[in-house]
Amino acid sequence: MIGAGRTKQYANVLDKPLSKGRQEVSLSAFSFLFSEIVQYNQTQVDNIAELERRLEDAGYAVGARVLELLCHREKGNRRETRLLGILSFVHSTVWKVLFGKVADSLEKGTEHEDEYMISENELLVNRFISVPKDMGAFNCGAFVAGIVKGVLDGAGFPAVVTAHFVPMEQQQRPRTTILIKFAEEVLRREAKLG
Amino acid sequence: MQNAELFTLTYGAIVRQLLTDLEDVDEVNKQLDQMGYNIGIRLIDEFLAKSNVSRCVNFKETAEVIAKVGFKMFLGITATVTNWDVDGSSCSLVLEDNPLVDFVELPDMCQGLYYCNVLSGVIRGALEMVSMKTEVTWVRDMLRGDDAYELRLKLLKQVPEEYPYKDDE
Amino acid sequence: MQFFGGTSEVTLSPSVPSSIGTGPLGSNAYMLYLFNRNGVCLLYKEWHRPLKTLDSNQDQKLMFGLLFSLKSFTAKMDPTRVEKGNLGVPLLPGEGCSFHCFRTNTYKLSFMESPSGIKIILVTHPKSKDHRENLRYIYNLYVGNVVKNPLYVPGTAIKCELFNTSLDQYIQTSI
Repeated sequence: MIGAGRTKQYANVLDKPLSKGRQEVSLSAFSFLFSEIVQYNQTQVDNIAELERRLEDAGYAVGARVLELLCHREKGNRRETRLLGILSFVHSTVWKVLFGKVADSLEKGTEHEDEYMISENELLVNRFISVPKDMGAFNCGAFVAGIVKGVLDGAGFPAVVTAHFVPMEQQQRPRTTILIKFAEEVLRREAKLG
Repeated sequence: MQNAELFTLTYGAIVRQLLTDLEDVDEVNKQLDQMGYNIGIRLIDEFLAKSNVSRCVNFKETAEVIAKVGFKMFLGITATVTNWDVDGSSCSLVLEDNPLVDFVELPDMCQGLYYCNVLSGVIRGALEMVSMKTEVTWVRDMLRGDDAYELRLKLLKQVPEEYPYKDDE
Repeated sequence: MQFFGGTSEVTLSPSVPSSIGTGPLGSNAYMLYLFNRNGVCLLYKEWHRPLKTLDSNQDQKLMFGLLFSLKSFTAKMDPTRVEKGNLGVPLLPGEGCSFHCFRTNTYKLSFMESPSGIKIILVTHPKSKDHRENLRYIYNLYVGNVVKNPLYVPGTAIKCELFNTSLDQYIQTSI
């Protein structure tokens, strides 16, 4: 899973019994690991944008692996070819494997044809967060945006994916929205498929 | 509890990030240990809050608690405590399973890597917070061809609580 | 001074001066301190403290010092234990007996310490109830909202909004 020997890795994964997916660790184990990733990456950057980019990169690697795993396990190596198909795959299948639930919502952007939003009221990586004022709009959700981007890219749907806090009425805490803006080629291909 | 895959894959992503950043396997081993230590000094409070353990004075008991309660609480596995030395200051923890390593096979360029070094750091950090200075090292590592995952735990000293301020402050 | 031991508590002066009031919304809480094992005050909050005579740094050090000495004294005077160190000899956290509160005629101080050396001190109205459960709850709030906040650096002052709001709410409703 680390860099070199990629093809070897795939063969290895196929050799493994896939029922391993049932094994469980505590939510805290992930939270502590993730905290340390954020802390480590803070030492590697000068600004918030760079920090988010590095978290996105880490997430991207996770997303690419998740896609491979799920394609073998759940879809018999069949991949989604349609836009709504891949979006619902991310919103339900991927979310279930990673977060144990389907995402709270999947919506189409109202202003732009190429934008979609997956929202989560309590995204795992933001559950315990308090962002200090000097970190501005920093959002740990960049990691999850990276995961989504990794899945989409791997499936042939390149997109720019970003994470945002969206304040909600009647709720103390903002929800996290993962904004997906598909590349032009994706929309052109989709239009051709009719 | 949640599916281990997010955890396992995220750990893989951080190891990969370190290999890219540091370009040296020994440095990566050190950094993983340091990250584990940083996790350990946080995680101990969650452990104490959840387990209701009110004091940890005895090293022997502490090792058992790590193996049976600690590993279970965080990684969903247990470990066996064995090989105590005569004066009861060092022992081995043998892991029954290891969720960090699913899907992992070390590529040739990473042969010196202690992939799971984060774990030894976590134990060291957590124990330091309850006043036990320890040394934690890998004895057996299946990724390196051994037949099990085994950590050696050695108690260096128990540190009493000192008054933290100097008089002239 | 005379306090503590096991679960009982000794009250020196039961008569509460009539000037003793309560905090906002009738809460009994006056102040709260949270220290780590190195004596760093991670959090100080006050809800009701009419008299301020010290700068906050001095105030926090005095509070920490008071508890540090008390712990040592209480362990030393423990009549039930055979193996106890000499007075002034440092204790391991979790070693010796532990006291959980003392009361004066004007305030009550409740205390808990985790084996990791986190100390939580709650100062309240002298007539307020046993606060051990509350302190445990606050420790859990700290774990959930501070320790697990990816942006919190251990050993630094707590500026987590999530923790501050939950703590305030809890104090107002439960103390």
